[in-house]
Amino acid sequence: MYYINAISSISHQPTFNNDGFSKHIEPLGENSEIIKPIYKEYINPKVLRRMGNLIRMSVASSSECITKVDADVDAIIVGTGLGCLTDTVKFLTNFIQIEGLIPPTSFIQSTHNTIAGQISLNFKNNGYNTTYTQNTLSFELAIEDAMMCLDEGMDNVLVGGADEFIPFLDEFKKQLDFNNLKLTSAVTFLVLSKHKTTQTIAKISDCQMIFNANDKTDDFGSFLLKNNLEIDEIDTVNYSTPILNRKLNQSFKKGVDISSLAGVYPTNSAFGLHLAVDEIQTGKSKKIIIYNNLSQSKLGLTLIENI
Amino acid sequence: MLVNREELKKQIIEELNLEELTATDIADDALLFGDDGIGLDSIDALELIVLLEKFYGVELTNPEEGKEVFESISTMANYIEKNS
Amino acid sequence: MKIYITGTGIVSGIGNSINETYNALLTEKTGLTQKEYPNLNRSFYTASVSLSNSQLAKSCNCKNEKISRSSLLGLKAAIECWGENQIHPNIKTGIISGTSVGGMDRSEIFYRSHLANEPANFNDLMFHDSGSVIEKVADHLNITDYINTISTACSSSSNAIMHGARLIKAGKLDRVLVGGVDALSEFTISGFKSLMIYNDELITPFDKDRNGLNLGEGAGFLLLESEASIAKTGNKILAEVSGYHNSSDAHHQTATSPTAIGATLALNGAIKNANLKIEDIDYINSHGTGTGNNDLTESVAYTNVFKENIPPFSSTKAYTGHTLAASGAIEAIFCILSLNNNVIFPNLNHKNSIPETNLTPVTTVTKDVNLTHILTNALGFGGNCTALIISKVK
Repeated sequence: MYYINAISSISHQPTFNNDGFSKHIEPLGENSEIIKPIYKEYINPKVLRRMGNLIRMSVASSSECITKVDADVDAIIVGTGLGCLTDTVKFLTNFIQIEGLIPPTSFIQSTHNTIAGQISLNFKNNGYNTTYTQNTLSFELAIEDAMMCLDEGMDNVLVGGADEFIPFLDEFKKQLDFNNLKLTSAVTFLVLSKHKTTQTIAKISDCQMIFNANDKTDDFGSFLLKNNLEIDEIDTVNYSTPILNRKLNQSFKKGVDISSLAGVYPTNSAFGLHLAVDEIQTGKSKKIIIYNNLSQSKLGLTLIENI
Repeated sequence: MLVNREELKKQIIEELNLEELTATDIADDALLFGDDGIGLDSIDALELIVLLEKFYGVELTNPEEGKEVFESISTMANYIEKNS
Repeated sequence: MKIYITGTGIVSGIGNSINETYNALLTEKTGLTQKEYPNLNRSFYTASVSLSNSQLAKSCNCKNEKISRSSLLGLKAAIECWGENQIHPNIKTGIISGTSVGGMDRSEIFYRSHLANEPANFNDLMFHDSGSVIEKVADHLNITDYINTISTACSSSSNAIMHGARLIKAGKLDRVLVGGVDALSEFTISGFKSLMIYNDELITPFDKDRNGLNLGEGAGFLLLESEASIAKTGNKILAEVSGYHNSSDAHHQTATSPTAIGATLALNGAIKNANLKIEDIDYINSHGTGTGNNDLTESVAYTNVFKENIPPFSSTKAYTGHTLAASGAIEAIFCILSLNNNVIFPNLNHKNSIPETNLTPVTTVTKDVNLTHILTNALGFGGNCTALIISKVK
């Protein structure tokens, strides 16, 4: 069993430190922005000043989780599709344009594993630490590893999905004609545990990744079969982006478009997971599937259940 | 060239992103490095080397020298004045 | 359950195949040379792979040479490693790669033009995403069961090897290509230069006068299989992944802790994971980048773990340069060559030992050594420390 004992998100929705947010959630407006906490309440200012946006969001979100469970975690596993873009672009610009010495900070902050590294630094955590970057399945790969860690004997694992938006992405989107997507930033972190405690909110019953999803309807059907479920037992399907297959869409009791609530970024299925957990916590639902269909050729399926 | 210490402090705050500080928070002789001081670390030392070159045209080619040069605002200013 | 290595493939500054690499190692032939980088207005010691992108594409039967050089290097090494293997419905097969900057070699070309307001092809940015680098390789080999990319800086491919082993033990995969790729890029050269740890001279790992690293590029892949898979494939066993461990230093973003806590935990953890004792380790292929900080920390870690009885050790980075994410896999392959040929490859350019710890690495090619268990470690930025144990299979 894989219990979710804490979960936290920082996004364009009022998700941070706000259990029950799923009850009043509205689609994103045109000019929505990240709803940020007061970072210095969670991160030492001496350290905070060097952190780019994505790192601050990740450390604050992790902090909310670890405070809730009030325990050390044995591992820190992060999934990120595009990593720390702001610092990547900053260092690119600097080294291309500056004639003399180049400031190093943005280089250090640009590596994908800075997120997991800074979290471990913040909590002085010497445990297992890794970062997965397989575009749209980065978060599911992180969840899978967390489950393996628990199977191998660990007690608590901090897992997260994190991605950031930079203005350049909008230009990129325009040039390559992906115009109808609202690109955003967000992070979601959770503590996955072997132990059911008074903190436990929900459980992850299964997480599957299909890397050549030629027929997503088939893959979805197989997932249900594997978990001994009929489609009408699933209260909600949270999908990363609108499903084009009308028949599949209509087979869901209720479908929720994550992109309309959190925007589009490679790890938006993590938001979908938090939304599911929050819904389960309010007692509204018992079984929710996160349907990560951001990629045409790949599919991520995660089954969340009440306890 | 005389170094304007207040100007130097502002440059350091800006380049090192010391969000919580203003020039008045940094005494001329306050220790810049270590937990007892302003709390700068080895990455900041590199940033200060870049700052010296960018704003004052002064090159510190040996990072080892940095420990003495960057001890405080005063030592930094003195070094710039001596080498520019 | 045992995890066997049944294939290896490599490309780096010292060779474009396992055989070429082995010969270079034996003849102490370095791949590091002074190379001009006109865009950076100076030259650096780097170890480039001798093949151009179009030569790499041609040798891999890859129709599109305008993909990231990292993918092309990955293809070259993975194809050698995969050899005659076939996709089989009853053998769950995956691929896990490590990379630090993915397709940055193409992104930086784009960005330079873009910043100068010159025409730039936005399609070039499609390779930037680190995950897409290995998808080209997976596509080429028709691997679809599992595809993953790990990005933990210098320990990436070591972590890929560890993860592959864990997936096999968990029954999720039967056979997995694991390794790492990193092409040289102006981004990373400039990055290490900005940290003032790029040596203007040839690197001298574990030396008193060490003054930084030199970068290299390359790709290395290993094929891991379970016994059950080998019963179906009939592949020959080259060695065994007998132990692994990953820990976080949690000391500082770029500097490793003076007490070497992360590295010590990783080394001890791997030895314990392999059910071995410290005296069972016959040789260590070190991380040894030649920086002031790394080599001292690593030496302290060895002293912590082995006390006075430190096994023979050497860093092979003076051959290949630091190949970043590919280094863990490339050096694991060197360990396999060592095991199967009973030879230790030297730590080139060493003159005087680090005074704080007084450890002396192996400095010449040493043959006829009895090697059964070799430890190899990688210490990455952000404090990511991974140790692997590769063992001989008799």
